[in-house]
Parts: sequence; structure tokens; C-alpha cells
Amino acid sequence: MNLRHLPSAVCVMGLVVLAASAGAYEIEYSPERPAELAACDRARYRGERAEAGGCYQALVAHEDPRIKAEAARALGNQRGANAFFQTAVEQYVDDAAVRARWGYLFLETHQDSEAAKLFQESLRLDPEHVPAIVGLARISAGRFEERTRELIEEALELDTDNLGVLLLRARMDLEEGVIDRAELGLDRALEIAADQGVAPLEIYALKASADLLRGTVDSEWTDRALAYDPSYGEIYATPAYFYVITRRYREAIELYRKAVEIEPDLYAAHADLGANLLRENKVAEAQQHLALAYRGDPFSAPTVNTLRLIDSFDNFVVSRFGKADDPASADPGVLLRLHKDEAQVLEPYVLDLVDRSIEVYTERYGFELAEPVVVELYPDHDDFAVRTSGLPGIGLLGVTFGYLVAMDSPSGRSEGDFHWGTTLWHEMAHVFTLEATNHLVPRWFSEGVSVYEEWSTGPLSGRHIPAEVFQAIGEDKFLPVADLDRGFIRPTYEGQVIVSYMQAGLICEYIAANWGQQALEAMLEAYRDDLDTPTAIHTALRIASEAFDEQFAAYIDAELGTVVANLTSWGAEQRAAHESAQRGQWEEAAAASERAIELYPEYVDAGSAYLIRVRAQEETGAHDAAVATLREYHRLGGYDPSALMQLGRWLVDAGERDAAIDVFEDVLLVAPLSEPVHADLGDWLLAADRPEQALAEYEALFAMQPHDQAAAHFRLAKAHYSLDNLPLAREHLLYALEIAPHYREAQQLLLEIVR
Amino acid sequence: MSGRACALLLAALVFAPPVQAELYYVIVGGLGGAPDYEEAFAAHVRALSQAAERTLGDDARVTVLVGDDATSDALRKSLGELVERTEEADRLAVFLVGHGSFDGTQYKLNLPGPDIDGAELQALLAAIPARSQLIVNATSASGAVLEEWGTEDRTVITATRSGAERNATRFAEYFAAALSAEEADINKNGMITAREAFDYAERRVADSFESEGTLATEHPQLVGENAAAFDVARLRARPAERPEVVALTAERDALEERIAALRLEREELGAEYLPQLQALLVELALLQERIDAAEAQ
Repeated sequence: MNLRHLPSAVCVMGLVVLAASAGAYEIEYSPERPAELAACDRARYRGERAEAGGCYQALVAHEDPRIKAEAARALGNQRGANAFFQTAVEQYVDDAAVRARWGYLFLETHQDSEAAKLFQESLRLDPEHVPAIVGLARISAGRFEERTRELIEEALELDTDNLGVLLLRARMDLEEGVIDRAELGLDRALEIAADQGVAPLEIYALKASADLLRGTVDSEWTDRALAYDPSYGEIYATPAYFYVITRRYREAIELYRKAVEIEPDLYAAHADLGANLLRENKVAEAQQHLALAYRGDPFSAPTVNTLRLIDSFDNFVVSRFGKADDPASADPGVLLRLHKDEAQVLEPYVLDLVDRSIEVYTERYGFELAEPVVVELYPDHDDFAVRTSGLPGIGLLGVTFGYLVAMDSPSGRSEGDFHWGTTLWHEMAHVFTLEATNHLVPRWFSEGVSVYEEWSTGPLSGRHIPAEVFQAIGEDKFLPVADLDRGFIRPTYEGQVIVSYMQAGLICEYIAANWGQQALEAMLEAYRDDLDTPTAIHTALRIASEAFDEQFAAYIDAELGTVVANLTSWGAEQRAAHESAQRGQWEEAAAASERAIELYPEYVDAGSAYLIRVRAQEETGAHDAAVATLREYHRLGGYDPSALMQLGRWLVDAGERDAAIDVFEDVLLVAPLSEPVHADLGDWLLAADRPEQALAEYEALFAMQPHDQAAAHFRLAKAHYSLDNLPLAREHLLYALEIAPHYREAQQLLLEIVR
Repeated sequence: MSGRACALLLAALVFAPPVQAELYYVIVGGLGGAPDYEEAFAAHVRALSQAAERTLGDDARVTVLVGDDATSDALRKSLGELVERTEEADRLAVFLVGHGSFDGTQYKLNLPGPDIDGAELQALLAAIPARSQLIVNATSASGAVLEEWGTEDRTVITATRSGAERNATRFAEYFAAALSAEEADINKNGMITAREAFDYAERRVADSFESEGTLATEHPQLVGENAAAFDVARLRARPAERPEVVALTAERDALEERIAALRLEREELGAEYLPQLQALLVELALLQERIDAAEAQ
């Protein structure tokens, strides 16, 4: 399906839309549901669709616009429902309930902002109108906001038996892995449902989800739900969602398939099935289900965006290596999906890093990949965001779904914004931690290994810890290891996610330092056996998690305590250095930057004092000192591409060409699409008698269609000449001279060849 | 005047040596307003004037107005002097660096004191006899003059595509750099044409925005049919001309014409093209060796 005619990146729709039935219906729990509607509901919940449809249809002619609106909504006529709700609100101006019900219509059409306004209007009319509070709680829950719990508790205080809010709370508990508490809530809900005579289907679906999270795949609750309504697709789709959030995409796919088999017009399940098939690189099948979902719900932004993303795959080049190309190959293989404008340049560097990471991680974690890894790089960050979540505007750099890695291309962000080589290294570690544990690894440990591997084996040396993390350490904000997942999934303060990343990395570093690298492998084995974190720690490390937390805290104090203690002073000296530099006061800038470096020598990230110091040294004529400072910056893992390019050139000027080559090779892991880098690096490699590598750089340069084509051809000619490949050397020389007949150096080489 | 004097004058006119076409430069660095801009504009003007002096061998035909000297009156005076100094066969290159503004009707070049507007500048330029003109307006909002200043023999380059692009431009820096950049010399003949300089600068401007991940706030424009033929700067000092070099250079020019003609037959020749091209290029290379040797004597 081609959606090129639609506007790009659908995020928000301002109008209520006409849509066919979205398939999924909500169970109505309110005891105040009008009897006429409740009668139709009962038929629907039993799977008696024709009877329910006729019943609702009759109610569309009801005199009460509130009943008409609900009936139209139940029939999937959202535009009609919208019109009836408008009339109802005009007629029942002070009725909080009708506004809240209208809000639920907007929720159904993915218009959360409009829904929220109506819920708030409802609460202005009646501050204790529980359905409005529940509506706001649902919006908040969908955004993983901390205030969701507050809203839930507020609703329950007003109505302890409100099934809608009880089930929302149970769902949140399941998302957070607090299964016991969720089960208690669900058991209570079952009692209330029985008392009130309402359909227990949603409760059954959440009970089945709880079973699934406990490892019970064949749940009794599935049978009960199907006995109640054989076409209730949510009995599979709801547990599938919990598989997705615990990254068990293949298992989720199986459940979604079952959901749509028994309820073919469950369009949300088709959409989720499509999204997850895409995570398994099953593009054609994904597109079929997404197209179906689009027909049923054409303005679901994730569906539209994902279909558009699939259309854009026409602009990507797929390259296969190893088993991905030849099933008989022993090499597990790699499949690269790179944009056609940059595939030729990026492919060798991406492939090299992927191959190296596979080799390193196979050795370190004792796990052999069973399938080809798929790596996708997106020049358009919004496309990457849609790949990840169906919506643009995500803050991540990369994501791994198992054997599939998707990330921003270096061209997807401004140059120097991120170290793409490190991001890829990080994501490749996730492939191993996910697959080695059949996706049972908890989020914190998978992130922890990835961060630890960045620091210890990745292409960028050193730990790179943002200043805000030291602040968090100083404020004792590290979580107990048993609770660390919470820091990722439900952060309670701004920046907690990045703090959790760093904590996880430091924990893995600590484990490796104290128990050895093999202890990390043992942790993976424990997680593969579906053990929880405290048990995994006890099994792998022979220590209780509480004792682990104490020892880890002591480790942090020993390793980072000085930096934490100096943080305020360091920040002040950094600022002073920058301010002095802005004023052109180079002596002061040099002094402040030196003090900052003394307080925190490893800091080479954004705003690093090393770069101020370099500039100050240059401005005051201390060139050799500037070179030394920049070398130290590079050694510690600094990767500002302009700074490193300057270092490379200075090193060449100083006769240290090999060192310059090393520096420029590192620049490519940040800025691989820089023509001058490839040109200069190629020239230095050729001068260093490394013509094959020079040729690779010149080919990358040429693939970028540089402005000076004659020079690009000439470089290729020189490299081929060095490799005794005279026919190709001559050909490129002729092309160079065709463009630039006066090209002296090319003329001289041509004469050399023909003489 | 006496008859003899008339005859002598007529003889002088008849036997006067052919007029040598000269290239004149006028380089203006306008009002910066803030220290950073003052410094940047001064640097661009320096780079442009260095390229101009290198091209001509001296500064006799290079007029530079920068800082407090770059007033409207000074500019009028400089351009007015060229009305007297230049001949029709001469060439003129004018570079305007700085801030420009456009109020929807009129473009103005911001200078110390009163600004000068686009209409007046066009009139001043039109009065100069030098027929082949290159006017590079590297200021913000410069696109406002693109249509107004374009004439049959004039190449006009602006940093922006319209008067609405008001941000301080990056184009000036890259254009100035182009006049001294080997990379800009696409045909490697040691001369930078207006076309080569524009293409280089345009690409660098686009790349700079792309690497920052920001939307471009300027889109350079070029109008005029003669841009590829207007040599605006020399990359190396002009060698002394000797009669033997002149003869060899003429031979080289003829050979280049044969190469250019062969290129037009590329498709028809198919597989025969490259061998024939090689033969001519080898001949050219050998001839160039002789030219280099002659120049070195």
C-alpha cells in the first residue's frame, strides 16, 4: 500500500473522523448505563453481533441524544456519534456524564488532547465524576506519566468498586511486573463483576496476561473467555501486549494471529501484529496487516506512519552477507538496510563494526547467534522514530528488537551530535542479551551490559557519564538493583532514565570487576531460566541483592566519589572557562579550563574544558601544548569531529602521519559522511603505503559525489596505480582529465603509465 | 587643431597598438554592526583582495572599501572613477560583503552613514563601460536585486534567492574561499571562473546547513550566460609571458578544442572514445611538459 499522498508523519488529527468499526469494543461497567443500551451490550459481549447490531441500530432513532450517541458509537459510526454528543451537550448543559462519555469517543479516535478537555469540562461540572477521572487516568497511563497513580487513587476513593479504574490499576501493576498486586485487584474485580452482572471478559484477558507473565502460556482464563464469547479477540491481544512490552515479539505475533483469526475486524490487533512482524523483518506480511488496520481505522497515526515507512523502504538498499546471503554459510550473517544515498559510503564501516561486535560478544558471552542480524540506519530521524514506536519525535538513538537493530544514521542528526559507532556497538550487545535469554532479560540488565560494553570494548574509550548522573549519585538517587527496571519504565523525575542507564552500566562494570566477565554470562543464564533479579544475583554472584546494593554503593564511592564531591567546583570552573573564552580572555580561559580538568579529568563530552584549553593554548602561541591537549582529549574518548580533524592535520604537520590516520579513522565513527575526512585519510594511507585502505577511502569519497570530481578520479587512479591495477588507474585518469584537461598531476601520472 | 596635428592624431589612432582588456575589481565590506560581523566581513574582504592581487599581479586595479571607509560616497566615487578608467573590452568584478536589507520595495546595502540602494547601484554599474561584468552580492536579502541587476553581459550572483532571506549569510565566506581553493578549480586550469566559484560556494553553504541539521536560511543564485567564461581569480601567480610560451599555449588551446570536440562524440564513438581521448590527452600532457620547461627557463 502506498501512502505517499498523505501528509507526512501524522501526529494529531484536529477533526473527528468517519471510520468503519474499529472492531475492539470497550466493556461498559457503569451501573448507570441506560437499560436499553445495556441490553444491546449483553448481546455484543456474548458475540451475538447481528443481534447486538440490530439492537443498537434501533436505538439510533431514540429521542434522547445521549442514547443515540452511544448507539452510533457502538455501531462504529463515530461521526454520527460525535454529532449526537454535540446535541446532547447542548441539551444537557450541566450533565458531567455526557461530556465524559463524549471524551471517551475522542479517546477511541486517538484524539487524547480533545478527550482530556472534555474530561476536564466534566470535572468542572462535577469534581467527583469518576468516569472523567478515569478518562484522564487512561490518558496519563498511555503516556506513562507518574500522576496516573494519583488519579487512580482519587477515583477509587470516590468509588471503591469502580471496575474501570480497578482494571486500569491492575494493568499498570502488570506492566510494572507487580503481578501479585495485580492479581489481587483482578480477583476483587471478578467479585464486583459477578455482583453487578457485568461481562468479565476484560478481567479474564488480564488474568490470562498475569498467567503469561508468570510463565503459564495455556491459561484457564482464555478458555473461560472463549466460552463466554468465542469471538473475543482481546483474550489473545491483551496478553500479546504484555509479551510486546517484555520484548517477546515472536510470542506476541502468535497471539495476535490468534486474535485476528477469531475476530477478523479487530483492527487494533492487526495494527499491532503488523508492527511486530516488522520488528521481525517480515515486511510484506506486516504491510498486509497494517493495510487492513488502516481500512478499519484510517487515522491511527502509528498505522499510517508505519505504512508510509514501509513505502519508503523503496529508497533503501538491502545488502546481505554470510548466511543472510548464502544459507549454507557458517557465518550467522548480516543484512544491512541502508538508504540508497549513503549505502555505498556507510556499508563497509557498518559491516566492519557489526562483524567485530559479533566476534567480541560471541566470545565474551558464550552465545552464538542463530540467525542473521538485520541492521537498519535511518537518515530521517522521524522514520527511525516511527520504526520504533509508530510516532515521530522519540529521543532514542537506536533500538533492538532481537535480531533487528534500527538506529539513526549519522546523517539523521547534526554532525558530531552522537557517536554512531558507539550506538551500533551498544545495540549489538542488546542482540546478544536478548537472544541469549530468549528475551527474558530485564531491561536494566540488557541496558547495563550494553553500556558496560560501550565503555570496555566499544570503539570509544572511557566511561562517558553525564554530569547530571553524578548529581544524582550525590543525591543518593541510585535505585536498589531489584527495582532498577522502574527507573527505565516509570521514571519519577526528569533525567531518571539516563541515570538508570548509567547505574546499570556501572553495576555491570562492578560485577565484571569483582566476579569476572563470566559472572555477567552467569547472570544471562539465570535470566534465561526466567529468574527474577534478586534470585539471578544470588545464583550468579552468591550474594543477596541487598548486600549487593551495599557493596555497589561502596564501589561507586571509591570510583566516583571524588568527582561527585568536586562536581559543583568543576561546573563553576567549566563555566568560567567558557565565559573567558567568549570574551577572548585566553589566559583566564586556560587557567579555568586547567582547573576544571584537574577536578574531573575524564570529562570529554559536550562543553569539555579540554577544547577550551586547546583554543586558549593556540591563541597564546603554545601550539605544541595545544597538540598535546588535543591528543589527551582524543585518548580519553573525546569525539568532536572538528577537534579531531584539527588534531589529525596537526599530527601530519608534525610528521606523525600514522597517528593522524588513527585519529581520522576514529572521526569516521562520528562523521562518516565528511568528504574532507575520506580525502585526507585516503591521501595519508596512500602515503603510508597502505593502498588498499586508501582505495576504500577514495571509493567512499567518490560515492559521495564530491564537488571536485576530477580530483576524486585522480585519487582513485593513484590508488589503483599503487595496487598495480593499471587498467583501472588509466580509466580513472582519463575521466579526471576529461573533466580537467589541465590537471597537471593527472597528466604526469598518465605519461608515467603510457611510457 | 592644425591639419598636421590632425594627421598625426589620425596616424596615432590608426597605428595604435590593440587595447589590452583589463580586469578591475571593486571589493566592499559593509557595516558589520557587531564585532563578530565586523571581524568576519573584514576577513572576507581580505581574502577577496588577496585573490584579486594575486590574479592581477598588483593592486593597481583593485579598489577595496572596508570599515569606516566604505561609505556610500566612497562607493559612488570609486564606481564613478571606473567610468573614466575602463574601456568596453575590459572586465569588472564587484564583490559586496556585509548586511543587506529589503523593505518589500527597495534593497539597501548597509554602509557606515547613509545606505545605498539597489537602484542607484544598478545605475552606477550600468554607467561603467566595461562590458563584461560580474557582480557578487553576498549580503543578506541580496536576492532582491537579482532581476534588477541582470543584463545581457552581466553575471549576477547573490547569496539569497529573494529579499526575504534576511539572516546574515555564510555565502561570502565560502565565495571568498573559492577564489583560492584548488577544490573549486573543477577543470584544473589554475583559474577560477565565476561559475566554478559559485558552484563551490553554493555547495559549501548547503553542506554547512545539512551538517548542522538545520533548515537553510539562504539559497545562492546565479544569473547570466557568461559565468563559465568569466575568469575571476588565478590560483597561482601569473607566469611571465615569453614568445615561445605564447606559441605553445596557442598550440595547447587548439588541442583543447579537439578534446572538447571529441567529448561531444562520446556516445557515438562508444568503446573507441577512451582510446582516442587518451591519445589526445597524452599529446596534451607532452605539450604541457614543454610549456612547463619553457616557463622555467
